[in-house]
Amino acid sequence: MTDKIATPDLMVYAMASEIENFNTVLHGVSSPLPVLGMSVARRTHAPDMAYISGAEGVDPEIDRIYPSSFDPRLNRNAVAYFGLHEAFDLAQRGELDVMFLGAAQIDRFGNTNLSVIGKIENPKVQLPGGAASAFLMPITPKVVIWATRHTYRVFVEAVDFVTGQGYNNRSEACKKNKIVVVSNLGVMNFENPGRTMQIQSVHPGHTVDEIKENTGFDILVAPDVGETPVPDQDIVDLIDRIDPDGVRQSEFH
Amino acid sequence: MKSVLTSFEEAAGLVDDGALLTFGGATFQRAPMEFVRELVRRGKKNLTLIDREPAMDFDLLIGAGCVAKVRTGMLAFEVFGMAPNFRRKSEKGEIIAKEGACQPIIAGFRAAAMGLPSLPVKGMLGSDLLTISEVIGSQKQIEDPFTGEKMIAVKAIEPDVAVIHAQKADEFGNVRIEGPLYEDVIKAKAAKKVVVTVEEVVSAGEIRKMPEATTLPHFIVDAVVEVPKGAYPCSCMNYYDTDYDHIQEYLQAAAKDTFEQYLDKYVYRRESK
Repeated sequence: MTDKIATPDLMVYAMASEIENFNTVLHGVSSPLPVLGMSVARRTHAPDMAYISGAEGVDPEIDRIYPSSFDPRLNRNAVAYFGLHEAFDLAQRGELDVMFLGAAQIDRFGNTNLSVIGKIENPKVQLPGGAASAFLMPITPKVVIWATRHTYRVFVEAVDFVTGQGYNNRSEACKKNKIVVVSNLGVMNFENPGRTMQIQSVHPGHTVDEIKENTGFDILVAPDVGETPVPDQDIVDLIDRIDPDGVRQSEFH
Repeated sequence: MKSVLTSFEEAAGLVDDGALLTFGGATFQRAPMEFVRELVRRGKKNLTLIDREPAMDFDLLIGAGCVAKVRTGMLAFEVFGMAPNFRRKSEKGEIIAKEGACQPIIAGFRAAAMGLPSLPVKGMLGSDLLTISEVIGSQKQIEDPFTGEKMIAVKAIEPDVAVIHAQKADEFGNVRIEGPLYEDVIKAKAAKKVVVTVEEVVSAGEIRKMPEATTLPHFIVDAVVEVPKGAYPCSCMNYYDTDYDHIQEYLQAAAKDTFEQYLDKYVYRRESK
């Protein structure tokens, strides 16, 4: 049964699992997996979370997702609107518990790059930009990075440009804040004395060695490394119901 | 109150070549697309565009050759991927792209809206974005005078023109934005001139029935133009949804080097041969 769970659904469930009940959680742009993860969390283990949509609705009843994570239909039956600048105020007060961010490159310290491949003055590849990364990465208690292509080109020794701050680019105060990385192969964190990336769990059907081979630096393995929990059929059905068009597949092409 | 109802042509005339512009909405939602197309038709040049998370509005102007500089937090086409003209022209060095991060861009608008030269924000420290922003002079590390806490001062951003597409306004410029506001109210207060295109002009009496629904009062607004479907192919809540098929058609045109034909068909509306 476990080998039948599709990778996007595994990732959605892993991302949902990073949310605790009563957390205040925000998603941003281009975020089908975070939207699904937040929706799953709220309908399972975190019914009392505060859900702030990038589309600005608070606690919406998501019945389906769209190619834009700002589509106003994502605000269905919301209790309020809360603008991004207000969510950022909350983050500065330390009251935004969890944020989901992307990365085109990530390195062993958790630095992310969404800005350029090559040099900033003369980019080989112009990337979209980090959106809220440089602001939220250091100050948010938990940032979950999702990466749909776990390869040595994405998990690199050193990022070309530091958009979001890893542990070697943070103040002491910001080092207490957590980074969790959910990839298509496993779940990684930085919960060791050197604050470098370690494998915490491996998705069913994959191995620690496979993750090591596809990582461009020496990745550590947590002493209690295990298998990533698998969503039950109700959760898989819920994800399918909210995303009948397979918008969540778009990042896997 | 005096009427600020204007023609589309007159409103577009408020935008000079070389102007600093920002637009309402975010990605594919309530961007002032018909006004953007009018700027292309008028052959505007050397514009500087600034916004936290734009999409097709910026990319269309870049592709049509109207833009010299862009400053954004992120410029992409959501799940469809990269903004094609932005990527191509930035990599060729034909535009200057200065990434700013969302919070500093919003804070820059907030500073201007509050009449302040700058506004401090948290975060940013340790990011290379702070380094490049200090070079161009848009952000600077400071210490709070009371606590000594390190913060980032963001220079005020005062656009020459903010262009916003809204659902309703009266002829005097009392504007009703329905649904998410994004930073539209802040941008309008920050800008020197404000142009609002609307789905429909309603009576002043209609506006007076529900003043709490007015998001911009008349003294902030310089021009109102009635432009039904003015956000298309982006959404305008309570009027129409985003046309994601059209956005994919745009991306295909940009990818296949048929962007000129796209402009002919949807912007210049010339008969294709």
